Amino acid sequence: MRGENKRSVVVGIFVFIGIAILVTGVLTLGGQQKKFVRAIQLKAVFDDVGGLQTGNNIWFSGVKIGTVRKINFYGDSQVEVEMNVEEEVAEFIRKDSKATISSDGLIGNKIIVIYGGTTMAPPVVDGDRLEAVMPLDTDRMMETLQLNNQNLVEITNDLKQLTGKLAAGEGIVGAVMTDSLLAENFRSILANLNRASYNSNQMLSDLNEFTSKLNQEGNLFNDLIGDTTMVSQMKATLDGLKATVNNTQNLTAKLNDISEKLNSSENSLGLLLNDEEFANTLKSTLINTDSATYNLNRGMEALEYTWPFRKGFKRKAKAEQEQKGN
Amino acid sequence: MAEESHDRKPLLSKKIDKFFTGLADAWNFVRRFFQEVFLPPYEFKEVIHQCYRIGVESLPLISLTGFIVGIVFTNQSRPSLSEFGATSWLPSLISIAVVRAMGPLVTALIAAGKVGSSIGAEIGSMKVTEQIDAMEVSATNPFKFLVVTRVLATTFMIPILVLYTDFVALIGSFINVNANELVSLSTFFVQVFESITFLDITSSILKSLVFGFTIGVVGCYKGYHSSKGTEGVGRAANSAVVISMFLIFIEELLSLQIVNAIRAM
Repeated sequence: MRGENKRSVVVGIFVFIGIAILVTGVLTLGGQQKKFVRAIQLKAVFDDVGGLQTGNNIWFSGVKIGTVRKINFYGDSQVEVEMNVEEEVAEFIRKDSKATISSDGLIGNKIIVIYGGTTMAPPVVDGDRLEAVMPLDTDRMMETLQLNNQNLVEITNDLKQLTGKLAAGEGIVGAVMTDSLLAENFRSILANLNRASYNSNQMLSDLNEFTSKLNQEGNLFNDLIGDTTMVSQMKATLDGLKATVNNTQNLTAKLNDISEKLNSSENSLGLLLNDEEFANTLKSTLINTDSATYNLNRGMEALEYTWPFRKGFKRKAKAEQEQKGN
Repeated sequence: MAEESHDRKPLLSKKIDKFFTGLADAWNFVRRFFQEVFLPPYEFKEVIHQCYRIGVESLPLISLTGFIVGIVFTNQSRPSLSEFGATSWLPSLISIAVVRAMGPLVTALIAAGKVGSSIGAEIGSMKVTEQIDAMEVSATNPFKFLVVTRVLATTFMIPILVLYTDFVALIGSFINVNANELVSLSTFFVQVFESITFLDITSSILKSLVFGFTIGVVGCYKGYHSSKGTEGVGRAANSAVVISMFLIFIEELLSLQIVNAIRAM
């Protein structure tokens, strides 16, 4: 009896643990697949859902927020997808958000991605329809790829012709590649070019040194460029120079007048300078004056020893001597 | 009844007639089970006893098998997935494989081998030693005591064993994935539950109920109808295992079709 009771307890524990595993699994599954959360329904109409199935995930900003509830045909061969989206997340999804179909990884299940939306638009509510954006279609990608392939074929054909011509020595490049003399010339051109570039480098270096010297402080050019007060000073100097030039011009004009007058015989200086007869007369006058002055000096010396002037001259000589002694 | 059929001229051929007769007997056996299961007296103690034998005593063997299945299946799947650089999908793959098919199937096959043969041999030996006849004489319903209790025990214990197997197989798979891909326990189980659905779990449990019922019914039927002699006991045990396994595969195939049809709806 005791053994039977023990057995019953063990069976009970066994069944309990088994059911606990089941319940835990169901709850975890439900929690992970958002089966037990309150949800709102959103809709989107696509031209092609590309194999999307009921139960596929809905992603918003990279987070799973629900599952595809139902897929129905709609209108003219379009497909309406009904989505169960967590009610808690609805406030973050705006009415102007868009829905597109993507895949979970490169070869993963199809998913619906909700993205975009502006804060200007209000949050979505139950039954809202989101704008559907068609995903990048694989067939279209293949079409583009095919076009690229065709282009690639044309390019390789051109390349083939080009290399053929090069190999045959046609054109400048071909000639350079096949003609050894031309290649040698080309090499020497390159050498010259190299030398020229070296020289130009040297020149640039010298120029650089020169400009660095010009840029040194205290240098006239540097002051001209860098000193702002100098400009006003130079301006004032130029104004002064201008005034001087004006004065010089006036002076020159007056000198011209004077020289004209000097050339004329109608005034006394002009007569003096230009009339030969007057010059001769003046010369003889001066000679006469010189002779008269000599005679006057001799008369005055004779007068010094003559009475009554002799006493006066002695007094004058005595006064001069006293002045020298002081 | 069997002697009468021997005397009659076969309808189609002797073997074909025997097959269909056996099918009819099995059908009657199942029908009798459903008649007896709801009628009192209820043999609760015997049901608990059989649950202990079938469930608890099978647990170590089934746990070990499930653990090995988890590790081996993970290891065998890795090279194929790594060709695509998709070893991160191992938890998803293993969970789908274990929950949808491997768990119920492995548990049912192990149980068919261990429990089915045991039931077949036990009831067969009771039949051979005329213990069943003695029970009838002593006013005990042998069908209710021997068959109904065992079929009920297998029907309810196999699903619970399947849950254990699933859990242990996933743990085995986790150990392997963790050792190779350094995936944490939480990440592993998040990926496990990402791939499976309620339909998978429900179908797995319903399938297990059917497998358990099959193992119980076949074991009991073969034992109950074993021919006389020790050879008959061995044959009953053997055919109980073989037929159970065969039927389990058939049922697995049918359940797969039904579940896929429901999934597509």
